[in-house]
Amino acid sequence: MKKNNILLKIIIGLVYFVLWVPVLVVVIFSFNDSKFGVVWKKFTFKWYRTLLDNSALQDSLTRSLIVSVTVVTFSCIIGTLGAYGFYKLKFRFKKMLRIAMLLPIVLPGVVMGGALLVYFQRIAHVPLGYVSIILAQLSWAAPLALFIILGRMQRIDFSWEEAAQDLGASKVRTFFRITLPLLIPAIGASALVVFPWSFDDFVITYFVSGVGNATLPIYIFSQLRFGSTPTINCIGTILMSISISLLLLNMALENKNKRF
Amino acid sequence: MDAVMTKDTPIGKKRFFNLELSILIGPVTLLVFLFTFLPLLITLYFSFLKLGDDGMMTNVFTLQNYINAFSGAYGAIFLRSFYYAVQTNIICIIIAFPVAYYITQYGGRWKTFFILMMVIPETTAVIIRIYAVKTMLGKIGVINSLLMAMGLIDSPIRMLYSPFAVMFGLVYYSLPYMILPIYAALEGLNPALLEAATDMGATPIRKFFRVILPLTKGGVFAGTILVFVPALGDYLVPTFLGGSKVMMVGNLVTHKYISAGDIPGGSAFGIVLTALLILVLFIIIKKGGEDALEKVV
Repeated sequence: MKKNNILLKIIIGLVYFVLWVPVLVVVIFSFNDSKFGVVWKKFTFKWYRTLLDNSALQDSLTRSLIVSVTVVTFSCIIGTLGAYGFYKLKFRFKKMLRIAMLLPIVLPGVVMGGALLVYFQRIAHVPLGYVSIILAQLSWAAPLALFIILGRMQRIDFSWEEAAQDLGASKVRTFFRITLPLLIPAIGASALVVFPWSFDDFVITYFVSGVGNATLPIYIFSQLRFGSTPTINCIGTILMSISISLLLLNMALENKNKRF
Repeated sequence: MDAVMTKDTPIGKKRFFNLELSILIGPVTLLVFLFTFLPLLITLYFSFLKLGDDGMMTNVFTLQNYINAFSGAYGAIFLRSFYYAVQTNIICIIIAFPVAYYITQYGGRWKTFFILMMVIPETTAVIIRIYAVKTMLGKIGVINSLLMAMGLIDSPIRMLYSPFAVMFGLVYYSLPYMILPIYAALEGLNPALLEAATDMGATPIRKFFRVILPLTKGGVFAGTILVFVPALGDYLVPTFLGGSKVMMVGNLVTHKYISAGDIPGGSAFGIVLTALLILVLFIIIKKGGEDALEKVV
């Protein structure tokens, strides 16, 4: 057993080492003075300063934020309605619809991206740009939000609804005054999952974004094609700090939920 | 009064148009239909069209695009992608079990910390992470520098743009998605069963195959959906780490649609890939029950 344990520890150590090394390299070399980020020269903030007057980067960041905020908003609304419907109502083809909604989540980005590109250009005549990017991302984000919210609904006590209706509240009033407040943590959790996914989405967005509508991941991709720039390391470090904060926020929310 | 009566009777509820249902389920159904199923059907239709000599689509029906997908260099790429995805999945399972087992058995109050330390690297933008792996595997990257400092090698090993690099990248970014579901399954395991197996004299290997594996099947299937499925259609890993030498289906589809402008060809590859994935998902659902899918989300 003892020997076993040491072997396990070595495996664990290696796994965490390999998982963390690339990430740490990005963070460390974002502060490196050398242009070619392989040899350490000296500590500097200068790459961060170059971010401030990089207008292409700022444009793509703004675009990404607009897209992600819109996608999160709509997917939360559609997902909440859908999850509530799935939880409360019985209807024909319910099981089939449920399986069908997994498809946009599991299909590879290249397939969905290609299919949507042709569909937008040749059939639906949606101009490539914000609208196409948002619709394409919503196609998987809304079902994803629905499943996350539905999963958390199992833990919610809905007897408050009956109480409200017994006291004479209408269905609509019950939904807005009782159900929605009960669902807020679940909706928040889905937003915290959908936002980084949408912000990070590369393949589908790459297909449907058209020319000159680069979101942040597409901007990074085009920069990396010409070789490395230390600025990419800075962007990576900033994005990582943001997503770590979101992750911790998510955990805090979850803990708060459990206490109730 | 009459209206109120019919509204609450069962007959009233069986109306063809149900307002509540259409408000709640309608938007998501419409979205999935309009922006997933319809585009896929159109892709299916286009995949049978013939590409004219001038590079424009014609209305002539042909099976040539599918024949292309299964033969020659393209067929080899399909086979290779499938092989890589299977390999990635198996390697991930082999690594995930000891890691998940260690965390459940010896994690103690550090469990959350262990899990968090696994999730945090995953939160970095995918592109940047894969790029970081590229620098790590490079000629003057961390691995080569480390090996040279230890005196194990004299000159840097060429690792990039090889099958090894692609496999490494795929495993690197899928591993946590295999560890987490297996960890969740192991957590739910009754420890008394393991003790019972040991008391009865089972060897560790026998214990694993006869007790642990059957009981954590659900976790393995859920992990497979999260690892195998994205790996099969991945685009970024082979692009950055495989270059033009180790292409996968993802590169092929992208190339057909975007660089070559061959919509029928890209559509046919997409349809074959989709069919393959649906087949794999079907097998997983058959073997592991529908829970496997539900557990994922």
